Amino acid sequence: MLRIFRSLSSVKLTLILLILLILLSIIGTLIPQGQELSFYQKYFPRLTGLILFIKFDHLYRSELFLSLVLLFLLNLIFCSARQLGSKIKRLQNESEFFSEASSTLEEKKIRTKVPADLKFDPNLLISALEKKRYQPKISEEKDRTTVFARKGVFGLFGPEIVHLGLVIIIIGGLVSAFLSYRRQVALVQGKTAEIPGRNISLRLDKFTTEYYPNGAVKSWKSAVSVIEDNQVRATSLIEVNHPFKYRDLSFFQMSYGQDWDSPSIELEIKTKDQPIRTIATRPGETSKIDDNLSLRVLNFVPDFQIDSSGQVVSRSAEPNNPAALVEIQAERKPVFSGWVFYLYPDFTRFHRKTRTDLEITIKKFEAPVFSVLEASSDPGTSLVWIGSMIMMLGLFASFYLPYRELRILIEANGQTKILPYARKNREGFFKEIEEVLESLNRK
Amino acid sequence: MNEFAFLLMAFFIYALVMLLGFISLFNGRWKIRKTIYYLALIGLALHSASLLTRTATSGHAPFTNMYESINFLAWACVLVVIIFERKFSLEKTGPYLWLIIVALMALASSPILPKDITPLVPALQSYWLWLHVSVTLMGEAFLAVAFVASLLYLTTKTGAGEKAEAERKKEKYDLIAYRAVAIGFPLFTLGALVFGMVWASRAWGRYWGWDPKEVWSLITWLFYALYLHTRLVMGWKGKKSALIAVIGFLSALFTFFGVNYLLRGLHSYA
Repeated sequence: MLRIFRSLSSVKLTLILLILLILLSIIGTLIPQGQELSFYQKYFPRLTGLILFIKFDHLYRSELFLSLVLLFLLNLIFCSARQLGSKIKRLQNESEFFSEASSTLEEKKIRTKVPADLKFDPNLLISALEKKRYQPKISEEKDRTTVFARKGVFGLFGPEIVHLGLVIIIIGGLVSAFLSYRRQVALVQGKTAEIPGRNISLRLDKFTTEYYPNGAVKSWKSAVSVIEDNQVRATSLIEVNHPFKYRDLSFFQMSYGQDWDSPSIELEIKTKDQPIRTIATRPGETSKIDDNLSLRVLNFVPDFQIDSSGQVVSRSAEPNNPAALVEIQAERKPVFSGWVFYLYPDFTRFHRKTRTDLEITIKKFEAPVFSVLEASSDPGTSLVWIGSMIMMLGLFASFYLPYRELRILIEANGQTKILPYARKNREGFFKEIEEVLESLNRK
Repeated sequence: MNEFAFLLMAFFIYALVMLLGFISLFNGRWKIRKTIYYLALIGLALHSASLLTRTATSGHAPFTNMYESINFLAWACVLVVIIFERKFSLEKTGPYLWLIIVALMALASSPILPKDITPLVPALQSYWLWLHVSVTLMGEAFLAVAFVASLLYLTTKTGAGEKAEAERKKEKYDLIAYRAVAIGFPLFTLGALVFGMVWASRAWGRYWGWDPKEVWSLITWLFYALYLHTRLVMGWKGKKSALIAVIGFLSALFTFFGVNYLLRGLHSYA
């Protein structure tokens, strides 16, 4: 048991874990995470099996990574507990002075040279130390005088405070990993969507996109209402960087898009013997052109492309090459069928028609704009904030308020020994001791 | 005068400071150190004027694209070099740091980096931009000092003749590197990780998402954690410490540049 505690609290383990975490993290940025199987087969043909076996496709949630994090957490806790024990002992042992064999204090072998001719007047020493903001304590026995002086006690515990903060952050991270809730909803203006698993719904009252003069997006604003039990409970305006909180849920503006599945399309139909007709329609709707002819848009894509299997797909969600698959029937028999292009009205290669006088062009098209909002609740977040604050406090304490301790022994025969202790900036510490000694000499 | 005029003057002054630094380094004349110090202050004032002008014209923080960020990093390095020189004396690390500063400014002026003022995309419209980027780059400027001092440590040969002198120099480099990390590490932690997490949670709805830029700043942080633990707990000094400080800074550089150009992720602006 003791042995397990020892190895779990060892600094060697810390170093090994730090190096392993660094290596795994690097690997995780070289192998794109969370991709489809086909992606790995394409880019890592020989390693696909291995990647999937050790779950490097979602490395940061793999058992390997999580168990390292867990081990790191234990190491942090045990290591800090051990250090805490020895530091408290150090603070309590005010009167103990070092002796090579019997000291209970773990000392590094650092000694300063004390000039042989130096006279130690305890009172002068005390005031010199106080000037340097030490809190000296003197204890006189019959054959010797010892002085114990220290400063920066808060800094002494800096590393443990940092580690406590880190422990809380890691626990917060684990809580987030297992308990956080995150759902995206895409909403067209006026529509309501239920937040899955919660008894509330979100309604998008208004969605606006503002642009800069150069055409770049300046802001997306979603005015939303939270609906619970058929009643509006809250309304708010959500923007990027300005989420809206309702109970434990936060709503974020994530992105926006256009719903190309239900665009409104305006078509112009020319025939030989009739005036030009304009028809407003949507994919799937049947509209009458006249008593004889009826029209239906079977498909619409904003960015026309034919993929390798011969299927028509949209290359992107941007209207780079909008096209509609239009069918016109006369007495239930198709007389026209084919892709009509907005940008290339003369391109008729994909048209099949029995009525050769039919000419169809797209005049206008418009897809409803939707706003993508994310609802999330993450009970780990506040732990991470608390941990971060504690960690920063500890970091600043340990680097800017370093602990310094002096144990000075003046023996009856005038022999003096000094035992300085500092973890950080020893050079500055020694300089300070020299200054103290010099000020004694002068008087 | 516009920002580029100020910047050009600052650049020439920095180049002059670097030159004078190397001259004093090779002929051992330390008297011009005071001159160098005041020149550096003038350069910093001009550089600050340039940044302020740009901030006033653009209406946003002067670090929202690659050009601006490199330029700001150079400014932070100048500030840190001046602080270090005043508090601890950089000695021979100085001229090499000025070399880095001049190189950074030359890099920023490269024609492949657009210098136009562009309006901010929605994600960057936040006061966390100020806190996150400025504190991070400030921390990295300190880490740059550690990097240069460590490189000098590794390249200084302890020849037979002046062994004691070389040892003294190396000890000084080692000390400068440690002091720089001791200030840079807490700043980097605060700016890159803590402020980064706070901003991410406001803008993207989660404080951590294993985005490559996030992971690489964590890697950088772990390297410096390794530096501090090996040094303060295991008592490593000198060569091994210097090596970790060099690798740590290379990791910081990769976080800054490499991730944007080589890995894909959310931090595609700068």
